[in-house]
This record gives sequence, C-alpha cells and structure tokens, in this order.
Amino acid sequence: MMEQVTRGDIVLEARGLSREFAGRNESGLFRKKRRVRAVDDVSITLRAGEVLAIVGESGSGKSVLARMLARIVVPTEGELLLRGELIALRERRTAAYAGEVQLVLQDPFASANPVRRVRHSLERPLLIHGTPKEDVVVRAREVLASVALTPQDEYLDRYPHELSGGQLQRVNIARGLSVNPKVLLADEPISMLDVSVRLGVLNLLRELCDTRLLAMMYITHDIASARYIADESAVMYAGQVVERARGTRVMDAPIHPYTQLLVDSVPNPEKLSKQSSPTAHNVDSTHFNYEGCRFSPRCPQVMDICRGNQPPEVDLGDGHMARCWLSASDAQRTAVKILAK
Amino acid sequence: MNEDSLVPVLDVTNFSVDYGYGDDAVRAVSDVSFSLGRSQVLGVAGESGSGKSTLVYGLTRLLRAPGVITSGEVTLHLAGERNGEAFNVLTASEDELRQVRWSQVSIVMQSALNALNPLRRVGKEFDEVLRRHDRTSSKTARQERAIELLALVGLAADRLQRFPHELSGGQRQRVMIAMALALRPELVIMDEPTTALDVVTQREIVSELYELRQKLGFAMIFITHDLSLLVELADEIMVMYAGEIVERAPAVELHGAPRHPYTLGLMNSFPPLQGDRVRMTGIPGSPPNLKSPPGGCAFHPRCPSAHDRCRTQAPPLVAIEDGHRSVACWLHDSSSTEVVPVSLSRRAASRIGQGA
Repeated sequence: MMEQVTRGDIVLEARGLSREFAGRNESGLFRKKRRVRAVDDVSITLRAGEVLAIVGESGSGKSVLARMLARIVVPTEGELLLRGELIALRERRTAAYAGEVQLVLQDPFASANPVRRVRHSLERPLLIHGTPKEDVVVRAREVLASVALTPQDEYLDRYPHELSGGQLQRVNIARGLSVNPKVLLADEPISMLDVSVRLGVLNLLRELCDTRLLAMMYITHDIASARYIADESAVMYAGQVVERARGTRVMDAPIHPYTQLLVDSVPNPEKLSKQSSPTAHNVDSTHFNYEGCRFSPRCPQVMDICRGNQPPEVDLGDGHMARCWLSASDAQRTAVKILAK
Repeated sequence: MNEDSLVPVLDVTNFSVDYGYGDDAVRAVSDVSFSLGRSQVLGVAGESGSGKSTLVYGLTRLLRAPGVITSGEVTLHLAGERNGEAFNVLTASEDELRQVRWSQVSIVMQSALNALNPLRRVGKEFDEVLRRHDRTSSKTARQERAIELLALVGLAADRLQRFPHELSGGQRQRVMIAMALALRPELVIMDEPTTALDVVTQREIVSELYELRQKLGFAMIFITHDLSLLVELADEIMVMYAGEIVERAPAVELHGAPRHPYTLGLMNSFPPLQGDRVRMTGIPGSPPNLKSPPGGCAFHPRCPSAHDRCRTQAPPLVAIEDGHRSVACWLHDSSSTEVVPVSLSRRAASRIGQGA
C-alpha cells in the first residue's frame, strides 16, 4: 500500500472549490435569505514535501477552505482529488481519508481533551485507525520524539493543563502525525502561542514536511511567517485567491493592490516611516462587492471595469497569478466590453 | 524630545503585585519602577504571563482579586483644573479614584466587544461618560462632543445610533479610543488594542493614534507582544519577562542594539519581510511557570549566554551607557569577566533577522 512518493508529487488537489452559507435575512421574516460565498472558486494543489501558505485576514475563507479539504465541511461546488483520484464529496468521509489528511487547529487548549492524559490523545487515533494494540505504545513514543518532546515519559502521563501552549501544540501535531498522514492542514498553528516559541513550532512543521515528504497547507494571517516557511503562497480575500506565486514573490513583488496593502501594513521597523501609510478606502470590511472585484470598494486603484466585472485570473509567468484588472491583457478587457454590449 | 517630556505624568516606584496570599502567592509583577513624561509613548513588550497587563491594571487600581498590590508607590501628576497636584493612586479612596479615571487617565482594553455594553447604542455610552463628569452639560452639547470625538477617529456620526454588534472589530476599537479621549486625559493606557484586529486595520489605527497623540499631546502606555509594532510607535520601550523589567531603552536604540539576551531573542522570533530566507531559532524552551520560578535570573534556563552567576543571583535593573538605558543582565555588570556576545555589545549594530 505504501507507494513511493517523490518531492513535488501532487498529493491533494482542489478544483473550483466553493462553499455557500445561508446569510442573515434581508430583514423581514419571509424575505429571501442572503447567500454568503465564504469560499468562491478556489483551486489549489498540495505537493509532497512542500508547504503551501494560505494568507488571509479573518473572514477571508481560509479556515473554511481547510475544513473542506479535511472533509469536515461539504463544498457547495468543486472537486477534490487525492493522488489523482476523485473523491465522492457527497458521501460520508471515510476513515481512510481521515487517515491521509489530518487537520491541526489554532487553539491547542481547545483541541485537547482536558480530562485525558497526553497518552490517551495519542493512542486513540492509532487504535481507531487499526494499529495493533501492542504497537500503539511504541508508535506514540515515536511521534512524541518526532515533535521533540523528549524524554517521552515526561509527557505521556501529563494532562493538557500541565503543559505550556507550545508543548501542547506539539502534542496536537504529534497526534495528527501518529496515523502517518500524507497531508497536514495546519490552521493558524502558531497564532495562539507565545511569541518566543512560535518559531520553534514553525521550524518543526518545516522539518516534518521535509523529512516525511508531507504535503502541507499552512494557514495564517501573518504574511511574514508565510514568507519564512512556504514554497508557494496564496493570498485570499473575501473567499477568493487574489494572488499566488512560488517562493517569496508574493511578499517581495506583490502585484495585487490588496497584497500590496497587506505587505505595507505589517509593522516593519526596517523601513521606519511614522506617517500614515497606505490608504485603503476605509470601508466596513464586512461589505464586499459580489458583482465585480471583491476588493474594489477598498481598492486605492479602482477603475470602472472593476466595479461590475469579476477580474480574471491573470497569468504573470512562472506560476505567478493575480486576479486583478490592472494586470489583465487588452484582450481580456475587450472581451468584457463586448459582452456588455 | 521636547521640554514637555521632562514634566512627569506618572511615577512608579518598587511596584509589586501578587496573585493569591501567603504561601500560594504568585509574584506577577516584581519591583517595577519607571516614570513617564508628558506626551511620551512608553511601549511595554512581553509575552503572555510576563506581567505587562497586571502592571497596568495594578497602576490604575483595576486589579481584581486575587490580585494584590504588595508594595510600591504610584504617583499621577494631574493636569487641567488640578494642575500640578500629585495624586497618590494607591492610597486614594474609590471616590477620589473615580474623579481621576477618564478625566486624567483612561484605558483601552484588548477586547472592545467585551468592554461595550451589547444592549446599548454607542451614543448612550458616550453620553454617560460625558454626563458623569459634567452633570451640568446639556444633552445636545454632549451629543455634539460625541460626534466630534467619533470624527477624531474617522467614524461617521451615524455610528452613534448603532449597537456594538453592528460595528466591525476595527470600528469598535475606534469607538473605545474615542471614548478614552472623551475627557482629554493626560495619560491613555492601551492594553493590546490591536491584537485582535487584522494587520490592515491595525496599521490604520496605529497611524491614527500617532496623529492623535501629535494633535492632543497625551502620554501613552502601549502594551503589546509585538516588538516591531512598538519600535514604530513608542519613544521608549520596556521589555518585561516573568514580571520584571529586563531592559528599558529608547525605541530606536533597543531595536538597533538590544542589550538583554531576551530582547535579542524576541526580536529574532519575528521572521522578517525582506532579505534572504535564513533559518531562525526563536528562543528555546518556554516561558517560566511563575509558581516555581527558576532561581537567579528568571531567563537563565533559556539564555544562550547564561553562566554560573545567573543561576544563583538575580541581576538588578541598572543604568548603562550614561544612564539613558538600563538592563538587568550580569553580562553588562562592570565586575563581570564574561565575554559579551557581539550581538549584545556596545559595538553592535545588529538588525532584526541577522540572528544571534
């Protein structure tokens, strides 16, 4: 069953994934329910031994995306392929799928059972996924070692409240790894941790990705940490991927006005300028434009075409993509004008 | 630095706070002294559990049981009508405190959603603050003042009619800032006001705070775990670890050349947004459990430069380099024979990202 995996192989692929939720009523009991598109037509590829970072603010749909990949949330539209095989999304998630795709959540204290020892949290997934009882203890010790929690005896019999946030997050990662998954989805794994231990966990994730050839998705609101760890980064805004590139191009040479705003907003003592910096139009961030570009109400460089027309995904070469009319070719712009007539 | 900054707003000496009593007591803030000048911004940086929030709750007497102030003196130098009066915060009665709160010192908490009453419109909150301190004011005058205050933080007047849940996180925090400024206080304390917000909103609010401070001239204590944010905003930065101040220096100097190994470690815990990608290590281990703090210097189990003396003796906070900055570390003790790492020495012009 163990197939040979090489670095860069496509492990999990999402094509045109969308998810709608029922929104609030437009005031009035019998009015039509508003639909909210939390994730809108997102296509991503997770490769063995690589980290894909998804960068977005709260409400950008990044966590819903992760939950769809973990098959906790059922997509409204789109396809999911695990090693090239189409997954039947309408059916119940199988244990086999859960064994291959694991999710690590943000809050280590909320995701650990407070009345159970670490030992229990580590052994239970192994038993569920059919590891023989006699191997379970050995395996639990192995994964603890792989997240650098040694000597293991010190940790196995502890309760969650006896560990620090960083240690507990390592236990959660160990729990995710115990069933030997091929894909690890990490949803803001460091944002709840003390600043001084964040890099340790980040380095651990990178090492695990390299040594076990895991396909990893790292979800974050911190674009600098994405730059540190990722092989490829995608920026999400209002449910859509607005820019994507390999390496550090998204941070070093952002093309989309939203990415530029994001990069300029990060506190950066290296370029000290105490003046008020980039001015986005100060719009209620819950107000998105669903007709045209989602970012157009806040965009400092907005044009007429942006307000009524969804921007196309523009290929900028070398796998750099931006969803923006500013980068669109003349042909793409004319196509819209013809359609409008 | 202008002359104003030499006039003190707040003086704190040997201030300590415990949680609990007797043998169970946990020392959360230990022997902290500092003073803050008029219209100065003091940044307090530290991780969770470092005592930074406890410090300001203690200073403002907002500490709840089992928090106990065990020692120290806090003097607030009042302005306005009571100009020049030295107000002893720790011995004041509740009534006396009430007169000083909002009008002389105000506080903005991390979670605006918890600070605002969910059942009240924003306008009502403003009205109450303004009425409490001036019972003779007319309703329309108070409303005008509220609109003026909202404009100060870039919000439209119609927000007064809204309930907190109808506002975005950034708008709520702006409302809190506007309320904190309502009675023109001399000192505004900000406890992680932007931590729960997105970076773009954080950037907007920080630039607004900077402009407001220029315009209105209040002093500010700004608490955060994000050292790089403080470098942009603060005049001086105080770094706390395990309830103690480990380093205090002008912001630019602290960032350019930290002296305490913890400060350096903290700076190297934030991956940079430019330059080559190099492996960084952060700080090994985890913050200490204050119930059983390590002996000697609280940072020694995690410190790359720890030596014998650090394990047994706690270093005091002492002034170094002509007294304009101070550090609590044996490396910089005049009697120390230890070699100071280049990254922490006087010659250093180390920058974030170029590791230790």
